[in-house]
Amino acid sequence: MASVNAQIKRGSAELAVLTLLAEHPLHGYEIAKQIEAQTGGVLRFDMASLYPMLYRLERKSWLKAEWQTLPNGRRRRCYRLTPSGRKQIAPLRAEWRAFFHALQSVTGFQNA
Amino acid sequence: MPDWNEIVRKNLRVLRACSPEFTEELAAHLEDSYEALLREGLPAEVAFQCTIRQIEGRRKDWLELRFLQEDIMTDFTRKIALPGLLTFAASVFVMYAWMFALGHVQPKIFWLASTKFLALPLWAWCLLCLLPICGALGAFLSQRNGGSRLQRIAAALFPSEIMGTVLLLVFIAAFILSRFVPNYGWDTSVALKGLGLYLLGYVVLPAVFLLLGVGVVEKAKRTPSHAM
Repeated sequence: MASVNAQIKRGSAELAVLTLLAEHPLHGYEIAKQIEAQTGGVLRFDMASLYPMLYRLERKSWLKAEWQTLPNGRRRRCYRLTPSGRKQIAPLRAEWRAFFHALQSVTGFQNA
Repeated sequence: MPDWNEIVRKNLRVLRACSPEFTEELAAHLEDSYEALLREGLPAEVAFQCTIRQIEGRRKDWLELRFLQEDIMTDFTRKIALPGLLTFAASVFVMYAWMFALGHVQPKIFWLASTKFLALPLWAWCLLCLLPICGALGAFLSQRNGGSRLQRIAAALFPSEIMGTVLLLVFIAAFILSRFVPNYGWDTSVALKGLGLYLLGYVVLPAVFLLLGVGVVEKAKRTPSHAM
């Protein structure tokens, strides 16, 4: 059985970001907005939680960031998933599934 | 249009010590937030105030703290050095606490503690037997910070690593001094024998006992549990 990371909050944020970036590269602001929109505002990132996490994932080589010039001439730092980062998604999902399954068996709630 | 780069630089002074890319990226984020608010129909002044709030007050302190943490707390610090230093501190504490206890026990018990077993006094064996707790502490802290198995072992063995480094540095310094100071009284064979004994007593033997503690953590880790 997969073991669940003690830092639940950090783990959930990492999974959300990795899953989102698996679809296409995004820059910081877009990541925050898309997660907020897709979760109906339940998950929100402020700058203090988003960027340190992105840098941490980059240091782990799960993400790669590149400066890109947009059509309007502005520079944005876009994050994309590396092959190593892509490999993390399945184990993280399994970890979360195991965690919610365990929680469900204790609390009896459904559809975690 | 506000100069967000300048605003970030002015508000988050701690970023001056970090990469300039941080400033530019945060400025870009604020710029996007500001423009999104304008598109929602907010007046420029209100949009500006809402945006700037992201780097003011407690949020500013938190942001600066997190950036400092990320900049200073590298993987090595988090997974090896910090748990390792705590292990070292715990080992030194255990040693001094044990020595203090021995110094205050009855003479009869002290005599018993001084009896030798396999060339080492009993008190030294007792001391070594406390080291697995320190080793387990280092491995546990490293594991908590996401350390790999190798990093957990490195953190747990930190006291031995420090002692080994100090002993080798002292040996090298003494050797160099002997080359320059007349009548230093350096005898290579005696010095090497001494170094070997010290390495055995202060590095190898403690390392073995510290590793026992790592073994306990590894075994506990293999036991399926969902500790939160």
